[in-house]
Amino acid sequence: MADTNGTAMSELTFEQVTVRFGTGSRALTAVDSVDLTVPSGQVVGLVGESGSGKSTLARAAVGLTELAGGQILLDGVPLQHRSRGPRPLQLVFQDPYSSLDPRMTIGNSIAEAVPRSADYSRAGEVARLLELVDLDPERASAYPAALSGGQRQRVALARALAGRPEVILADEITSALDVSVQGTVLNLVRDLQRQLHLSMLFISHNLAVVRYVSDYIAVMYLGRIVEFGPAAELLGDPQHPYTRELLAAAPRRGALALDVEELDPALRAVADAEPADPHHPPPGCRFHPRCPIGPLVRPDRELCQTVDPTPDAGRHRHHTACHYAAAALQAVDLVQ
Amino acid sequence: MTISSSQLRTTGGMATWSTHPWVRFGSRRLARLVISLLALVTASFLMIHLIPGDPVRSALGPAASQSLVEARRESLGLNDPLWVQYWHFLRSLVTGDLGTSITTGLPVSDVIGDRLPATVQLAVAAFVLAVLVSVPTGLVMGVLTRGGRRPRAELSFTSVSVVLAAIPEFLLAVGLVYLFAVKLAWLPVAGRSTPASYVLPVLALAIGPAAVLARICRVELLSVLQTDYLRTARAKRLPAATIYLRHALPNAVTATITLGGLLLGGMVAGTVLVENVFGWPGLGSTIVSSILSKDYPLVQGVVLVYGIGVLLVNLVVDVALALLDPRSTIRES
Amino acid sequence: MATRTKSGRHGWAAVIRTPLGLSAGLLLLLVLLLAVFAPVLWSHQASAIDTDHLLEGPSASHWLGTDNLGRDIFYRVLVATRQSIALALLATAIAVVTGLLLGTAPAVLGRRAGRLVTAVVNVAVAFPGLLLALFFAVIFGVGAKGAVLAIGFAGAPAFARLTQTLVAGVAARDFVAAARIAGAGRIRLLVRHILPNISEPLVVNATIGAGGALLAFAGLSFLGLGVQPPAYDWGRLMGESLNSIYVHPAAALAPGVAVVISGLAFNLFGEAVAKGLGVESIGVTRYRRCSEDSAQPEAPTSQYVVEDVVLSVRDLRVTFLGPDGPITPVRGVSFTIGHGEAVGVVGESGSGKSLTALAVAQLIEPPGQVSAERLDYLREPLLDTPDADRRQLLGTSFAMVFQDPTTSFNPTKRIGAQLAEGAREHQGLTRQQATTRAIDRLRAVRVPAAERRAGQYPHEFSGGMRQRAMIGMGLMGEPALIVADEPTTALDVTVQRQVLRLLESIRTEDGVALLLISHDITVIGQVCDRVLVMYAGRIVEDLPATALATGARHPYTRALLAAVPDLDTDLEQPLAVIPGRPVDPGRLPSGCAFAARCEFADDRCRTEDPELETQLDEGHRVACWHPQVVELGWPIRMGQR
Ligand SMILES: Nc1ncnc2c1ncn2[C@@H]1O[C@H](COP(=O)(O)OP(=O)(O)OP(=O)(O)O)[C@@H](O)[C@H]1O
Ligand code: SF4
Ligand code: SF4
Ligand SMILES: [Mg+2]
Repeated sequence: MADTNGTAMSELTFEQVTVRFGTGSRALTAVDSVDLTVPSGQVVGLVGESGSGKSTLARAAVGLTELAGGQILLDGVPLQHRSRGPRPLQLVFQDPYSSLDPRMTIGNSIAEAVPRSADYSRAGEVARLLELVDLDPERASAYPAALSGGQRQRVALARALAGRPEVILADEITSALDVSVQGTVLNLVRDLQRQLHLSMLFISHNLAVVRYVSDYIAVMYLGRIVEFGPAAELLGDPQHPYTRELLAAAPRRGALALDVEELDPALRAVADAEPADPHHPPPGCRFHPRCPIGPLVRPDRELCQTVDPTPDAGRHRHHTACHYAAAALQAVDLVQ
Repeated sequence: MTISSSQLRTTGGMATWSTHPWVRFGSRRLARLVISLLALVTASFLMIHLIPGDPVRSALGPAASQSLVEARRESLGLNDPLWVQYWHFLRSLVTGDLGTSITTGLPVSDVIGDRLPATVQLAVAAFVLAVLVSVPTGLVMGVLTRGGRRPRAELSFTSVSVVLAAIPEFLLAVGLVYLFAVKLAWLPVAGRSTPASYVLPVLALAIGPAAVLARICRVELLSVLQTDYLRTARAKRLPAATIYLRHALPNAVTATITLGGLLLGGMVAGTVLVENVFGWPGLGSTIVSSILSKDYPLVQGVVLVYGIGVLLVNLVVDVALALLDPRSTIRES
Repeated sequence: MATRTKSGRHGWAAVIRTPLGLSAGLLLLLVLLLAVFAPVLWSHQASAIDTDHLLEGPSASHWLGTDNLGRDIFYRVLVATRQSIALALLATAIAVVTGLLLGTAPAVLGRRAGRLVTAVVNVAVAFPGLLLALFFAVIFGVGAKGAVLAIGFAGAPAFARLTQTLVAGVAARDFVAAARIAGAGRIRLLVRHILPNISEPLVVNATIGAGGALLAFAGLSFLGLGVQPPAYDWGRLMGESLNSIYVHPAAALAPGVAVVISGLAFNLFGEAVAKGLGVESIGVTRYRRCSEDSAQPEAPTSQYVVEDVVLSVRDLRVTFLGPDGPITPVRGVSFTIGHGEAVGVVGESGSGKSLTALAVAQLIEPPGQVSAERLDYLREPLLDTPDADRRQLLGTSFAMVFQDPTTSFNPTKRIGAQLAEGAREHQGLTRQQATTRAIDRLRAVRVPAAERRAGQYPHEFSGGMRQRAMIGMGLMGEPALIVADEPTTALDVTVQRQVLRLLESIRTEDGVALLLISHDITVIGQVCDRVLVMYAGRIVEDLPATALATGARHPYTRALLAAVPDLDTDLEQPLAVIPGRPVDPGRLPSGCAFAARCEFADDRCRTEDPELETQLDEGHRVACWHPQVVELGWPIRMGQR
């Protein structure tokens, strides 16, 4: 692929990536043949419930978890996880209290990630990075204990940027923060991304947060991507029933989204269904036990119970992994 | 990486025979026992071969003639290649043959059979005593001192138990002998003839572990009292007795058993010292005298027996835990 | 300002300042000094043979008497200090070094080899130290050298296990993963990140281990397997004089006392350090009981009336006694909840939401103290009701749902039994009846296959299912109020909706009032009729949920609303943020607690604390000198950062 802009390209591609944990009866496929592209200079938001494999995907990309199948490419070149030297991918972690070494000053933590180079001094680079994340460079000698959660998370961002990465993976970086500081970190992420033209995979369980920073959104369910599309489009016109459910559950100003009115019993049953057990994922479409337009509500759709819709996802809008996405779409069209 | 418990759900009713958690637990535990046993047997076999120099020469002393040493080496099979010796060792173990004592010429298994009961009696009696005293004490102290109540009681309990736990068995034994046998002359100094002669050895062996166990019990109870589910129990407005006995106790005991098992293992070894103070005719006096007289086959046999004792204790503890804690078959991984 | 973590040097100094730490430290120092100087000073006296005084009892010239060669026992015990301590330290050093090598091997060697080392350590650690010591004593031979090696190697597995656990604990933390991503190699990870973070527990355990080695060494020497004559240590002295204990007890007891004292010195010092560096919260002894606070400020007077009141709270305070005087995380909270009303409480973490709920539920345990001018539940003054009556009242008509459904059920009891026991206690049901009711309630909270589920343990439930069971537990009686403390925070959004929907249907169908606590103002807005906004232990605004979107008056409420992005947030604007940090309840400023973070603060705000007063319309109270009346433009803009 030719780079037309002349700037460094950094497109991250997951190709049929599979990650497994455990063996025997404990085996668990946390990520199952995932295809996903983070385009150069764009932010892809990844949403899904806990245990759907979002973090595992990110950890696999930086080499903290081994792949059981598939490959991860940066600008079309497979990533190698060297044991030494800087890496083009950097991960920012969820818990700001565990992601900084309590025995190292924040300056040293950042400096450790700065590659050796003749072009700049490490100390100068640390100061520049701290400034970049809106922290006083004077504080480089502080220990993490002296910082608030939001400040720590900014240090973690600075450390990730120190390696001059091409792609940043941000795993739930605001979910351990109080709402009053969450905004600061989100603003910073947006500013940095625009300033540095970073490619970014932004993971969160909160759709509203993802919407705020992302250009594209990918929805993950039980180890598979079930829908992927440009953020506004996907949120405005969700195709997969699970995406719709997430949207319905997301906070919306003043709206009382708790429809308590009597639902029809089949719908009620799927609405109250338990999340599936990842050790024993349901056959066919993994969402079918909870799907409000699936086989449990529409008995004629037993196809969902046997045939996995993922391979055909390319045929649908937003790469939706649902046999009846098109039907749902048509239904909407008819009404309008 | 934490694994949320919803992912750990058992297969429930649909479990087939071979995936039944108990079968899985049993087979895994058995495998571990076999591995430990093998390690133990191998270690006790290698013990003799790791001794620098010729063990027979050092056992018989410099005065013994070279031909006598050679003959003894031959009869012990020490001239065979190592793996042949190992094979013979394993084979005779299976038949219960542990070789013959160098000093007395008696079969090692006979010596052990002779001496084992005295040691087992001592260890079991001391363990029962320790548990009966320490668990209730620890729990009651836990309830009384919860949430920083009664700081003075806490301080005295802690100091007494720390001091008692720090005194090794043989010192305690000497102290007890001095006080009860020498000064007060209430109990015999040594031997194993009358019921009264059991008192001091059992006490000497039990007091230290009892202090440790009581302390652990209290700490465990305190940490259980801090849990969310105890708060739930209080939110149900259950009477205090129900809260302590039905909710706190079972959970505190689960953790206590684990540590209690370790202590029992330690007690098995503690018998060595106590027996030597009291001239108790058990394995403990045997092993020391045989080490001093370099009677290696006997040492080997006794070490093996002690080791097996410890492994059995561990096994019992694990099974007890599995029975008591509904999560244990799943937790164990 | 470069502050080290609490467990830094500061921690060691604090240890010495505790009475236990100080005395153990001094004792240890004394023992070490003796070990260094005793042989230099008294070797001569200790070895002087006096054939005129064989095996004598204590006297003026020989304080502890003499041994069978007429040597002075007192000096012998003093001189033996060096031998005993030096050998014990040597053995400890061997144990620590071997243990460290074995314990860090898995982190350095990689997976395969690491697993093997771990397995070996696991097998070895199952055997008691003394047994291992005997084993090694056979190999290394009888004598001081053999005993040092034996005790050293015997202690290694335990140390290896400890190191392994500590290393694994630190290695699992994100900062290690971050360093790996940054390109740090295994050795660098170990040396720069892992070892510094485990050094303190290692040092502490090495100290305690030295005490253990000392005792073990005494044991071996006592058995005759350790130090050989003519050298002597305490164990040897004891062993030699045991046979003459009848005639000459001092000779056997004195070295024993020396062993115990020095063993204790090591042990206690280690324990004191462990306690000083360890978790602060266990140091409960520091909390003294707090006396009733008599000088309470005037309670707010205005209180609007709701008929059919379920809960009425006025001037509720929760006090703890901290290290520097009492702290009051809840200071003067007043509100009422009407029949079937849903009231939400929001605020940042640490604002006192949960403590308010626990105080209302009478679940604050001493040393915490609850006081209130009024705390009436169903017209009963809870603080004055006799214990038994209060238990009966709350046990049948009050339900509590906690944040984390995973830890809030007793892991060792079946769900059904946990639901049933309250009903058996308070409603006099039989086991059979209570179980039937429990199954019925599980069904009511839509747990599928309720009958089978009742027989399962909590770990067999999913998170959302557990939270439903918890709600079902509250419905065993006939609750008039459900207090739910962050009931959905631990759950996924989709499951969260299920649980909220369930709470909502219980409320509308059975007319149960709800006190819902959450840090998420959108959740509160969706479920509740009325919202209480808490800041620094006070209610700063009490307003109808319908007014939340447009009618909030308090700057803090408005800031909270603006800071949370939702699906309608303007993407072109930066998010509003609240500058600064929440205040620490131990360090409250005078005046309005929010002043430091408030863009409308003036001098009055910084000196006078505003009361919660009725504003403009009925049912809307606000505690602010400058309530904002401008319609909330969305999003409101506040200072950046
Ligand atoms: N090291 C591991 N061993 C076993 N299972 C694991 C491991 N790491 C993750 N898992 C499992 O893999 C699945 C996906 O986990 P992952 O952490 O990627 O989910 P997530 O979407 O990031 O969830 P959350 O929103 O809670 O962060 C889960 O079922 C999890 O329990
Ligand atoms: S494939 Fe079927 S079950 Fe799956 S989401 Fe689509 S309609 Fe629902
Ligand atoms: S009283 Fe003053 S400082 Fe406090 S919230 Fe109101 S305006 Fe801000
Ligand atoms: Mg995650």
